Amino acid sequence: MSRLTLILGLISAALFAVSALAGTAPVSLGESLAALAGQGDAATRTILWEIRLPRAAAAFAVGAALGLAGAGLQGLLQNPLAEPGVLGVSAFSALGAVIAIFFGLAAVCSLAVPVAAILGAGVATVLLGAAAMRGAGSVTLLLIGIGLSSFAGALMSLALNLAPNPYSLADLVNWMMGSVVNRSWADIVLAAPALAIGAALVLASGPGLRALSLGDETAASLGADPKRTRLLVIGGTSLLAGASVATAGTIGFVGIVAPHVMRPFVGHDPQRLLVPSALFAGIVLLVADIAIRVLPFQQELKLGVAAALVGGPVFIWIAARMGRLLS
Amino acid sequence: MISVNGLSVSLGGRRVLMDVSFALGAGEFAALTGPNGAGKSTALKALAGVAAVEAGRIEIGGAPAASMNALARARQVAWLAQARPVAWNLRVEDVVSLGRFAEAPAAYDRMGKEGRAAVDGALAKADAAHLAGRAFQALSGGEQARVHLARLLASPAPCLLLDEPCAALDIAHQLSLMETLAAEAASGRAVLVVLHDLELAARFCQRVLVMDAGRLVADGAPGEALSGEVLGRVFGVQRSAERQLIRGPR
Repeated sequence: MSRLTLILGLISAALFAVSALAGTAPVSLGESLAALAGQGDAATRTILWEIRLPRAAAAFAVGAALGLAGAGLQGLLQNPLAEPGVLGVSAFSALGAVIAIFFGLAAVCSLAVPVAAILGAGVATVLLGAAAMRGAGSVTLLLIGIGLSSFAGALMSLALNLAPNPYSLADLVNWMMGSVVNRSWADIVLAAPALAIGAALVLASGPGLRALSLGDETAASLGADPKRTRLLVIGGTSLLAGASVATAGTIGFVGIVAPHVMRPFVGHDPQRLLVPSALFAGIVLLVADIAIRVLPFQQELKLGVAAALVGGPVFIWIAARMGRLLS
Repeated sequence: MISVNGLSVSLGGRRVLMDVSFALGAGEFAALTGPNGAGKSTALKALAGVAAVEAGRIEIGGAPAASMNALARARQVAWLAQARPVAWNLRVEDVVSLGRFAEAPAAYDRMGKEGRAAVDGALAKADAAHLAGRAFQALSGGEQARVHLARLLASPAPCLLLDEPCAALDIAHQLSLMETLAAEAASGRAVLVVLHDLELAARFCQRVLVMDAGRLVADGAPGEALSGEVLGRVFGVQRSAERQLIRGPR
């Protein structure tokens, strides 16, 4: 384990503790610490163990999944602007989840939502991968991503129109803006297998991603298998993005900011970028979730909105810098 | 080390290699030359396993190449492409360590002692030891070319294929490159290098292969393969009274 990974891991652990202590419920620091240790009264224990900690775990897991998916997609498409949210993967994943919910599949089987979200993500990722293989450049890929996002939005509205049991608009907003409020351990357990397999696939692609830096032909001549690397990243990011959307709706820009911040610390190596990006993105969402709990708004800010408020400008900044480098 | 028999390759429906046959033994240092579009790069790609063979047979180390997977082939053949993109601003030593991908696909700081020693040694041979630690995209074109050369030399493969390695190199580095490759051949590797500089080829290589329009048209010692007849017919040049190459009747 590298020193960077260790430091990020320690920060994550510290933030988990902070997250358990932060909130609007009138619980003192002493009571919280006692409840964390399994002492104190039952109500406080419930607040900590059943509300705050699963929420923190969901925020971190979703962040880490998006950070890893972002780093993997960037390595594969060799584009620092790639990310599930920007490329429309999250939107398609949300579309899958919305279809599963509004057409009653979720009521039949609890796995329906994550599976539909993962399938939605897979459709978008395969389309992007096919475009990248045909030599689509940065601009083309981003345009395809924009197209996929708006198309998914339109299809979501259509799904709502056609749905036999239409829910309120507020539910749709939840999916499109992202939130980890009221997540239970059960939600996390449901997403865990997809997250674990997705992470394993993307991490396994690491050496291939570094070899692909030299182009497909040279990578193949070195003994790497570009096709296998592509399949690993496409499969892995679909699972990661799908499971995170199933858990928290669409949360954009985290997957773009984390690899960008971490890249200089790992010598711009797409393999060594993977784990630090995941940890950093997890940290970002943990901090964002703590912030929106503490901020004195009448109605709690959505996590996806908070992430976009920070991530959007960073995205524009990276794009502008890239433009300068390319021109 | 490598033998090619009746090799034909088509790209985009056009035959670019036709019935090419030659063999290259361990310790041989050969130049492959010919006018633009003669099929030199495609021949190297076919040997490196990145261009589909349409007809013919390639044997590497006595085994048919068609039966080898990418990893087994990479252990036998190292290839320096003409186009050498590097997508990220990787560290120099990480680029070089990719030359040992088939041995262990690790970044430089995760490599074993042997791997690091090979990378360091290759950087020194390519006169790029001082570039270690630098970011690749901040290097000049010639420095980048030397780092790519080091990547090739870091591989323990017994056969080296280089496509125009002299491009972007200054004259001193061109000469030192040729000396380095000659030393690699002397140490037992088979080295095949695509060169446009006929003087350089004649001076350093024991053997010159000449291609024209997809066919191998001459193969032998420099004096023989680059005879006045071949120079005129294939390259459209001739030797002046001062032994300089000048444009001549084709």
